[in-house]
Amino acid sequence: MASGISSPASAPTPMQAEMRPAARGTSRAGRLGRSIIPYLFVLPTMVMLVVFMYFPAFTALYRSFYTWDGIGTPVFTGLSNFTTMFGDQIMQQAFANVFKLAAFAMTVQVAVPLVVARLILSLRSARTQYIVRVLFVIPLVVPQVVFYSVWLFFYDPQDGVINQLLIALHLDNLTQSWLGDPKLALYCIIFVWFPFVDGFALLIYTAGFQTISPEVLQAASVDGAGPWSRFWRIELPLVLGQIRLIVVLNMIWALQSYTAVLILTQGGPGTATYVPGLVLYANAFQNRQMGYACAVGVVLFLIMLVLTFINLRYLRSRTDYDPGRAVA
Amino acid sequence: MAIAPRVTRRGRSISVWAVLGILVALTYAPILVVLSVSVKDSAQFYNSFWGISLPFHWENFGNAGAVLAPYLLNSIIVSGSSMAGVVVLSCFAAYAFARFRFAGREVLYYMVLALMMIPGVLTLVPQFLLVKNLGLLETRWALILPYIASGQVLAIFIMRAFFAGLPEELFESARIDGAGELSAFWRIALPLTKPVLGTVAIIQLLATWNDYVWPFVVTQQTPDLYTLVVGLVSFTGRHSTDWGLLMAGNILAALPLVVVFLFAVRYFVQGLTAGALKV
Repeated sequence: MASGISSPASAPTPMQAEMRPAARGTSRAGRLGRSIIPYLFVLPTMVMLVVFMYFPAFTALYRSFYTWDGIGTPVFTGLSNFTTMFGDQIMQQAFANVFKLAAFAMTVQVAVPLVVARLILSLRSARTQYIVRVLFVIPLVVPQVVFYSVWLFFYDPQDGVINQLLIALHLDNLTQSWLGDPKLALYCIIFVWFPFVDGFALLIYTAGFQTISPEVLQAASVDGAGPWSRFWRIELPLVLGQIRLIVVLNMIWALQSYTAVLILTQGGPGTATYVPGLVLYANAFQNRQMGYACAVGVVLFLIMLVLTFINLRYLRSRTDYDPGRAVA
Repeated sequence: MAIAPRVTRRGRSISVWAVLGILVALTYAPILVVLSVSVKDSAQFYNSFWGISLPFHWENFGNAGAVLAPYLLNSIIVSGSSMAGVVVLSCFAAYAFARFRFAGREVLYYMVLALMMIPGVLTLVPQFLLVKNLGLLETRWALILPYIASGQVLAIFIMRAFFAGLPEELFESARIDGAGELSAFWRIALPLTKPVLGTVAIIQLLATWNDYVWPFVVTQQTPDLYTLVVGLVSFTGRHSTDWGLLMAGNILAALPLVVVFLFAVRYFVQGLTAGALKV
């Protein structure tokens, strides 16, 4: 425990202490310093990464073959966690839900920011462009939990804004217990991000559009291309790399996130809004099924690993579309 | 023929403004509702839901602020020290990876990069057990140390690229002047890193400040250690129908980072787009 705390805190100090003699440096001390210094530079980092990243990652792989409550003696049970998982009805529901969430994240949440990014760039003054863009980026720095907390209020069956709005519009028959309805709850969770102008995707797309050389667009105009055909035939293919990047990132993000569900519905009503991440969370911190939770983590990791390889390929291909200008 | 394109161009720019205007309005409309609720007491809330009713109950903000202030302080301590830790450690490591030649350099660097593929859902449970076994559960170290570790990955990636891009002539002329490797790092490389350090720090700030699940599970039993986000959720749970107070709390919880953002938009934009590289 003590070593865990003191190593990162004290690590920089010996280096600073060593600085003076090396700077004064006789040639021998210099050469010796040179051979040790890089290792001293990377040592604190590597210690942190091994202890807090590599060790847990391997523990997860290893413990996924055990039945374990996290306290007692782990019992090796082979693949039973994985076979249980595939027969688990909550898990099947969770995967069905997460595919819906991912499908939404890969379509609407990809397309809306793309259109908005392009519309903003068509504003005439650079300053207005900047201000409008910043307005869409600000929600990105608001803690997501604030959105969930506000939307818990909006969805409230008695006092919530949505039902109050419907009553004010004399549409009383449309009022719902939004998060309490198993058919609606999952869509309500998606709707928290309305109007779906994700600031992050907006920034990525903007960078993409800005790398398109004006000469290309001018040449297209000279050849008689209108704004629509210019967008579809020239600009869209040139930002295809960014689009694919956002598709893959949104997919990976949708697959592993569960904070929204945890706060808005805790998976309910019943098991209607469970997602795999929440199954993992519930098993680890409520049911004390650490081995099973690790197995869920491993399955998610394997799915994401495949997606990450796709991601890396597309990240590289992002530069294929770069017409020789700096990527922002 | 000469007039028509100009008209359509104006029509187009009006429709662009209309679409963007509607989207901005939809993005910010909830905030107006939240603001109007946040200055109401219960009676005003139930009697005039949509209207603006006087007097404004600003004390909702005072009361929510009094509850949230200790959580805010915790968030500042946790995010601040993890930012400092990431900046310092990744500076040294990235410099070594970029500008020193040493045996094992590639292997170690790929060990860092490989972690980009390790998602939080895989490490959550074992990291919790690790922190528990180290006796760090219900302490700030349970937040700070794992945050520093996980923040390193992207930080080193970004800073290594920066250090590698510094022109060799800078270092050569320093060497001719008799500077050792360490003073080259200290006097030449470090002072140039300010902008990239800002970006790295902002990435870490965003990642730690808005995190919910990890701080919740490792400090669950100790409300004194709750970060702002965890504190907000517990505050929401405790006052589930005092909407004025709750909405005031939500506004206060959103404010700090928005204010920081407005003062450092450039760093945030760079940090956010650099975040695209991480899963």
